[in-house]
Amino acid sequence: MLRKSKLVSLALIAGVTSMGLGMVTPARAADPVTITIWTFGDVIEPALVKDYKALHPEVTLQIKKSDLDPLNGTNMVTACTAGNGPDIAAVEVSYSGYWRSYPRCFTDLRTIKNSDGKSAKDIAGDYLPWRWAQGVGYDDSVIGIPTDVGGLEVAYRTDLFKKAGLPTDRTKVSALWPTWDKFIATGKQYMKSVSAADKKSGVGFMDSAGTIYSAVLNQGTTKYYLNDGTDTGKLVYATNPQVKKAWDTTITALNAGIGTRISQFTADWNVGMTKGTFAAMLAPAWMMDYIKSQAPDTAGKWDIASMPGGGGNQGGTQLTIPASAKNKQAAWDFISWYLAPAQQLKVFKTYGLFPSTPSLYTDPALTGFSDPFFNNAPVGKIYSAGILKLKPIFEGKLNRAIDQAMGAGLGRVASKKQTAAQSWAQVLSDLKKVTG
Amino acid sequence: MSAVLETGTSKERGVSKRPLNPWKPAKQAKAPKPISRGIGSLNGKWGYLFIAPFFVMFLIFGLAPIVYSTYIAFFNWDPLNPGPQIFNGLDNFTNLLTDDRFWTALWNTLDIWAMSTFPQMAISIGLAAILRSKFLKGATFWRTILLIPNITSVIAIAIVFGQLFGRDYGMVNMVLGWFGIPHVDFIEGTTSSHIAIATMITWRWAGYNALIFLASMLAIPDELYESASLDGATGWQQFIYVTLPQLKNTITFVLIVGTIGGLQVFAEPLTLGGSMDGGSSRQFSTLTLFLYEQAFVNNKWGYAAAVGILITVIVLIVSLINFFITKKLAGEGSE
Repeated sequence: MLRKSKLVSLALIAGVTSMGLGMVTPARAADPVTITIWTFGDVIEPALVKDYKALHPEVTLQIKKSDLDPLNGTNMVTACTAGNGPDIAAVEVSYSGYWRSYPRCFTDLRTIKNSDGKSAKDIAGDYLPWRWAQGVGYDDSVIGIPTDVGGLEVAYRTDLFKKAGLPTDRTKVSALWPTWDKFIATGKQYMKSVSAADKKSGVGFMDSAGTIYSAVLNQGTTKYYLNDGTDTGKLVYATNPQVKKAWDTTITALNAGIGTRISQFTADWNVGMTKGTFAAMLAPAWMMDYIKSQAPDTAGKWDIASMPGGGGNQGGTQLTIPASAKNKQAAWDFISWYLAPAQQLKVFKTYGLFPSTPSLYTDPALTGFSDPFFNNAPVGKIYSAGILKLKPIFEGKLNRAIDQAMGAGLGRVASKKQTAAQSWAQVLSDLKKVTG
Repeated sequence: MSAVLETGTSKERGVSKRPLNPWKPAKQAKAPKPISRGIGSLNGKWGYLFIAPFFVMFLIFGLAPIVYSTYIAFFNWDPLNPGPQIFNGLDNFTNLLTDDRFWTALWNTLDIWAMSTFPQMAISIGLAAILRSKFLKGATFWRTILLIPNITSVIAIAIVFGQLFGRDYGMVNMVLGWFGIPHVDFIEGTTSSHIAIATMITWRWAGYNALIFLASMLAIPDELYESASLDGATGWQQFIYVTLPQLKNTITFVLIVGTIGGLQVFAEPLTLGGSMDGGSSRQFSTLTLFLYEQAFVNNKWGYAAAVGILITVIVLIVSLINFFITKKLAGEGSE
């Protein structure tokens, strides 16, 4: 009995004390808040998280990182169905077509204002239009704000080009391939200089000819769907000339034998990068860091030339606030700060991820950016020129599934399991099952 | 020697009219009925309470999803669609039975299962026999490290094995090259990719199963080995005629558990290929990978649920076959 009453009085004292304290401290600033973030890869950079904590000591960022982005997507479906998700979720571009048909799973960022009184409407002009469009729902609601942009150019080995009797200067190299046909022709010329023994051991002009497919596809304005204002879009993959062009160009490259048979992001690929198994690769801006870490011995031997056909993009992410988020205000404050030009500049300087805010493309930090690893190429200028050439491209609901079927089709041709015609026919029949 | 045999009673001799079959355990006297006292007396009232946690969990996480999956298998289901779902009757099932992708996945699953289960059994029993040996030094150490593959993350295993089986610079191909065998593209080929996946599974589970076999081996009475060696049986003969028959029930158990797991192999093919379709010609797409692809890539949740139902049916059929085999084996032992 005695014990119980003691506890009660202790609780009373505690309560009174905390009430008293509450009156003294300014209420708003001290409200501690925890923002939960679901992300993957390097979307949320530690150095900037530290900066934000210094600015907002009351905010705790709880970051949950998935290794595989497909699993991240799986969690998002579950979160939306159950109405129990994080405050911020990173969505990869290949999922953007899917999520654009389900805007109800997200907070419409036009309806929420940050501490500067800005909503998504007010900051839209800061971002590349084609990149911004990847975060807009079918009903025009804004569901995600773009992080970096994976501008695509050609990384090539000057030492290997020299050995093959090709020019090594980046302007001359870029002049070799204004078109994809010329690019493939250059590859053929390179292969002529490769000895039979090297050919047998798997040496090629570029790492994976299959990567040409999405590069060509993204240079158009339409992919698999036409935007007809509905939630899914209208399927046009079978008739869109841009799809056929991407397919045919890749088949030509495969048949020309200019690629090694290595797939990207495999063990063989990493080894090949060091060993000089291939002399060129289509490299998004973020790939430069990857090459540096995987093939440090090749420093100074690389250079960057521009893409055939003009510009390209690979990858990218949007930061979203799920509809079920508990701390929407704090989440929006963080996102609008984290993805603002000033912070994107810091991410670029620290981690080499290319900003999606074109106002930075004239910033001396970018225009003057060169890298000794890449033979002092002005990579900042080269990449921003390519990025500005791109136009908005509509991402439809089952983009990823269609991409997968196309990729498998090209794989069957590459491994000589089927002819190009057989494989295309199977792609179409497979896709009937997927989209039917 | 013969004098020992002669001393057997007439009754015993009468039983062994048939040649002694080591695979059938000898008759055992019935155990006396336990006296209902102490903990035993709780059986009636409290037993249900003690087993309740399992059944409550099973209801929530086992039965409820099965019922729900069965329900959505009859719809063109989209979980993110707030409106009413479209009922399509048996369409999902009839489409599935004519879908060559499903049959490919089924065949792949069975092939990988066979390739991983049987070598794994042999390796596990062999390892257990070595661990049982009285001459082995540091037995506890060896028994412990057998579990390491099992506690390693599947992703890590897949990365390492992906490197081993690499086409151009993989170690397996390097070794094959010493014998003049041209490089094998393990991931592109059907059989070769199954071998790679089966190797991963075997590496992961052989040690774990070896411990189960070891526990069972340690329960075999030493007298059996003593009398066998008195009869002049070699170590190999003791293994074949004493150890293996005594392991019969354990072998069945490991086989059933392994089969249920084997029919659900998922992480290995997913991480080996890095995509949901199981290779360019779906050469290593398994049943569960196919299910996952239908739901999370193709957005066909009802269809995926139908795949799930069929996997359940297949597992049930295989388990029933196993059950009857076990019952038959056990039945031969007792009355």
